[in-house]
Amino acid sequence: MKEFLATMSKEDSLTYELSRLYKQWGYKEYRMAKFEEYSFYSDNRDFLSSSSILAFNNSDGRLMALKPDITLSIVKNAKLTDALTKLYYNESVFRMTESSNDFKEIKQTGVEVLGKVDNYLAAEVLSLAAKSLAAIDGSFILSVSHMAFIPSLLAEMKIGENAKREIITCIKGKNSHDLKTICDKCGVDEKQTELLVKLAKVNGKLVQTLPELSALASNDEMKKACAELEFIADSLNKSDIADKLYLDLSVLNNTEYYNGIIFQGYVEKAPKAVLSGGRYDKLANKIRDNTQAIGFAVYLDNLNLYYRKEREFDSDILIVADSKNSNVSLLSLVESFIEKGFSVRVEHTVPEGYKAKTVYTFENGALREVASC
Amino acid sequence: MLNIALPKGRLGDKVYELFASIGYDCSEIYSDNRKLVFENKENGVRYLLVKPSDVAIYIAHGAADIGVVGKDILEEGNFDIYELLDLNLGKCNMCVAAPNDYIEDFDRPLRVATKFVNIAKNYYISLNREIEIIKLNGSIEIAPILGLSDVIVDIVESGKTLQENNLRVYEKIMPISARLIANKSSYKFKNEDIDNLMQKLKKVLAE
Repeated sequence: MKEFLATMSKEDSLTYELSRLYKQWGYKEYRMAKFEEYSFYSDNRDFLSSSSILAFNNSDGRLMALKPDITLSIVKNAKLTDALTKLYYNESVFRMTESSNDFKEIKQTGVEVLGKVDNYLAAEVLSLAAKSLAAIDGSFILSVSHMAFIPSLLAEMKIGENAKREIITCIKGKNSHDLKTICDKCGVDEKQTELLVKLAKVNGKLVQTLPELSALASNDEMKKACAELEFIADSLNKSDIADKLYLDLSVLNNTEYYNGIIFQGYVEKAPKAVLSGGRYDKLANKIRDNTQAIGFAVYLDNLNLYYRKEREFDSDILIVADSKNSNVSLLSLVESFIEKGFSVRVEHTVPEGYKAKTVYTFENGALREVASC
Repeated sequence: MLNIALPKGRLGDKVYELFASIGYDCSEIYSDNRKLVFENKENGVRYLLVKPSDVAIYIAHGAADIGVVGKDILEEGNFDIYELLDLNLGKCNMCVAAPNDYIEDFDRPLRVATKFVNIAKNYYISLNREIEIIKLNGSIEIAPILGLSDVIVDIVESGKTLQENNLRVYEKIMPISARLIANKSSYKFKNEDIDNLMQKLKKVLAE
């Protein structure tokens, strides 16, 4: 199986490996239709990473959308019971790309859990996120944050929404120089500014940095979040991923939808986050009553660019058989090679740039080995 | 190895001198040739000289780990990067400029000529002022003289070019200076190297 996986692209082999990982942890695959009613997405447009939605009219005139997001659809449609609903998916989403200003199909895999979210479950999902990153590249970092810190402090500030947006942009960009200027301009209390700057700078390995964060916790919500993060750190302390977990409060998500722990995953060769997730009770409660939820998505698109597999050979054997020399014995010859475990390609001529371990020509019902290409 | 993207030109020269002064020199950069990549293995740095408006693109795509770029370019684009430090170099202002005798007419939309479309749009949205944008790529100062626009939005350094074209600063939008930026992934995986450089920069900037 490993040999087989080695022949697949990074994106395809990962889909397989991650599905196996999630199944091992008791998650069930969730499949869904490619379309959903447009109004469902337009009602929750702020949750989407891009506001553009690819829409069309179906045969009965209803306006439909090609799914721009998977989480929303799962929260709306998954069957809920008293037990936890633990799901994983391999799906495509259709989003506007920033670079080309055009729609693109993006492959995504991920995990969603609906039901009562406790500290154990948060640790389990975080651990699965770390294992997903490890499957992409052993050199990874999972940045962990919590919505109880900066968003709760911002909620206490008596400033307008525009100013809050500017502050959030600064924090996400680790821009403490402009952050202070904006706080001063908006008349934010000096103590609050100082705390905000300190919180925004919290960055380091989870276990080592937690005491620094605990010392900064200024309200009950923050103290509760510290206890939650400590539970997670202790749960994962003995695992080999503990060293890859970093506390980074510059990771922020939309406060309308997220609460609790949030996280983003990076692998060394990719310039952007390849995994993003967190707890989103607020979104779940907008769509379903009394539901808590946590999950993450792994963005598989572009991974093939950064993790290109350089294969030595395109196939083990290349057989060049001219159409004029067609012979009924060729197919059974090919099958005999395949049964022995070789990969074989039959061609009329050697394809440009093709690499094969052994090259045969097929003439008069017999193979003749020629120099490899 | 830290890959550093610098803007070609005067600002890039100033920034290189600053980096060289804190131990990231690469003498090859002074050689008179057309090379755009210079490396000093001993110091662990590779400099890439790129068009100023492209620095942030190189960083966002991970082709360089860190770089230096004007705040104007960061504000105009929407780059998923970290902005780590204000280097206080290349200081100037993003301004609205108008002919010396200009009096604003609030009865009609304002015609604004600029290279910085997003900055101009966002500024006038904040004022709730209806505008018509005329995107130009250079010699913006001519636009109001020829009646193409009422005002321009552009960078003003000394104000001399404005003066010579009978224009004046009408409103100041924001101060501009060179910023140290980093790719998000590089910042995490090369944190020690980038942090070291930042601390040295902070020290020399404070002196």
